[in-house]
Amino acid sequence: MAEEKSLLAVFSDIDPAADAIEQLRLLGVHDDCMNVISGIPVTEAMLGRPSQWTNVPRLALGGAIAGFFVGVFLSFITPNMYTIKVGGQPFTPVPPAVIVLFEMTMLGMLLSTFLGVFLDSLFPNYRPMHYVPEISDGKIAILIECPPPDVQKITDVLKKLGAESVKEAEAQHL
Amino acid sequence: MADHKHPTSHEEHLREQHLMLDPMPRGKMNEMVMESMHTTSWKFWLVFGLLAAFVAYALFYKWGVMILEGLGVAGVNRPSYWGIFLVNTVFWIGISHAGTFISAILRVFRAEFRRPFTRAAELMTTFGLVQAGFSIFMHMGRVWLSYWLMPIPNQRQLWPNFHSPLSWDLLAITTYLLSSTMYLFLPLIPDLAMARDRTPDGTWQKTFYRILALGFRGTEGEWTHLRNALNIFAFAIIPVMFSVHTIVSWDFAMATRPGWSSTIFGPYFVIGALHSGMGAVVMVLAVVRGTMKNMKYFIRPEHFEAIGKLMLIISMGWAYFFFNDYIVQWYGGDKWTKELLHWHEAGPMGWMWFAMLICNVAIPWAILWNKKWRSTPWLLFIVGLLINVGMWFERYIIVPISLTINRMPFTWRLYQPGIEVWLGIGTVAFFILLYMAASKLIPLIPVWEVQEGQMAHSLKKYGRETVVTVSELE
Repeated sequence: MAEEKSLLAVFSDIDPAADAIEQLRLLGVHDDCMNVISGIPVTEAMLGRPSQWTNVPRLALGGAIAGFFVGVFLSFITPNMYTIKVGGQPFTPVPPAVIVLFEMTMLGMLLSTFLGVFLDSLFPNYRPMHYVPEISDGKIAILIECPPPDVQKITDVLKKLGAESVKEAEAQHL
Repeated sequence: MADHKHPTSHEEHLREQHLMLDPMPRGKMNEMVMESMHTTSWKFWLVFGLLAAFVAYALFYKWGVMILEGLGVAGVNRPSYWGIFLVNTVFWIGISHAGTFISAILRVFRAEFRRPFTRAAELMTTFGLVQAGFSIFMHMGRVWLSYWLMPIPNQRQLWPNFHSPLSWDLLAITTYLLSSTMYLFLPLIPDLAMARDRTPDGTWQKTFYRILALGFRGTEGEWTHLRNALNIFAFAIIPVMFSVHTIVSWDFAMATRPGWSSTIFGPYFVIGALHSGMGAVVMVLAVVRGTMKNMKYFIRPEHFEAIGKLMLIISMGWAYFFFNDYIVQWYGGDKWTKELLHWHEAGPMGWMWFAMLICNVAIPWAILWNKKWRSTPWLLFIVGLLINVGMWFERYIIVPISLTINRMPFTWRLYQPGIEVWLGIGTVAFFILLYMAASKLIPLIPVWEVQEGQMAHSLKKYGRETVVTVSELE
């Protein structure tokens, strides 16, 4: 099987990019073989793309649960490990524990949310990647994986739909 | 009506007024932001150098002196063991609330005017918390033993007592500092990628932006993860923000002291934090707009007008909580509390009590009701400055002045600050220094958020009237 080619088509606006995606689908390019790169968060609905999967909310929930148990450990278990008897005070009172539980739960949730972005986006990633700097200037790029015989056909269609440039994508250091 | 006869001029007026209706090509906006970072006059470096020298002297040298000599060189002594160190801790944590308020609460409520200055406010949160941390460490005296606060298993029977509000402080401030730094960094990634793309190869700045941008390209997946994370942060950091200043208030309210033991101290402190924080935000925005290139396009009178309205509402809220706290204590009739309240108003520092009310209530109310006045950057700068002076006075009254009066009259003694005056001013200088450095290193304007907002806004005609409409893009 011939190696797939990567094309990078750059559009100046959302509308022609959305039209191009629809046309690419009609040409038999599967959604998994396309990726949209943009300088602002263009929603999947705007481009007619399937919803993106993200683990961030699940990781946040997991982090919150882990943080909660760290809070339980600090509030209810460690006082028994390192005892400090203060006359007249309950040993593991609930009201102060609520504060510790809250802070640790929130810390766990927010840390795991932050790390979730790193994990899901594979950050940091300093390897060469398909990209053109014009994207951060407001252009929208579609990265297409296609078999070599389809390159010309796809290029022609994309140019006809208003692509500013369509070229073979080269991985480069950002 | 003139506007109806000349719809075009009305539209032009709207565009002139509102950043969201006055879009520019993204490349142009990027260029403007990068130019604002790279255009630095000799005056900037002069101020920067003077501030750096002052910080070296007032903050680090004086702190070194205090470490060598001991806390005796500070004015803290019986009965005011918590002096300016704690005043500044509360003050800086208050300043830090502005970033979260603007960035998270206004994001949750989709207040569109927030977009160009969320980062400027978030930076204040992080840098404000750094100063709060410094103030706490200074107050410790033997700062090299600060790790004793941490729950590290040890042999010394020094496990932190989690019943103590000071332990809650450690947890809350650590949580808030980490959260707000992450919340500053996440929306910064696309702008760092923009800066990376516009910086020439072979420069140290390119390496700096390349490392911090983490390889961000703006793929669908990256945006989805980022958007989800920002939504989670926006909702979750709000209760964290409330908890921090509530817990700081409990450092006082949990003690059965006259003037401190109050059930309303939590919300009273939170609204006070927002009051000083918003005041600081307008000060920063006025300086950024006035001194940095191209900032007049991004930060407009409409933004001062909107923040001015918030400041007025918050000032009213502060007055409500202040009076609520005051009247309950006054009505209670406790001998020592009455003595303290009288001391606040008629004691040797009574001028500070009245100045607090003038700065926090009278001046904001007198100026901010007027749309034209609250849209004037230099006037808002002065109001913001006075609010911060007033809020610092409020903390000074709560901490050392209130500590003067207790149930043992033989200990009464007015607090006379010593070296901590230098250290306090040093934290202010260090905050400004960090901010100046950041303004040259990272894009102060979140360009992608501005562009997103501009995409969502448009003008629509209803009959003869042209009105602003906002689409829900997210």
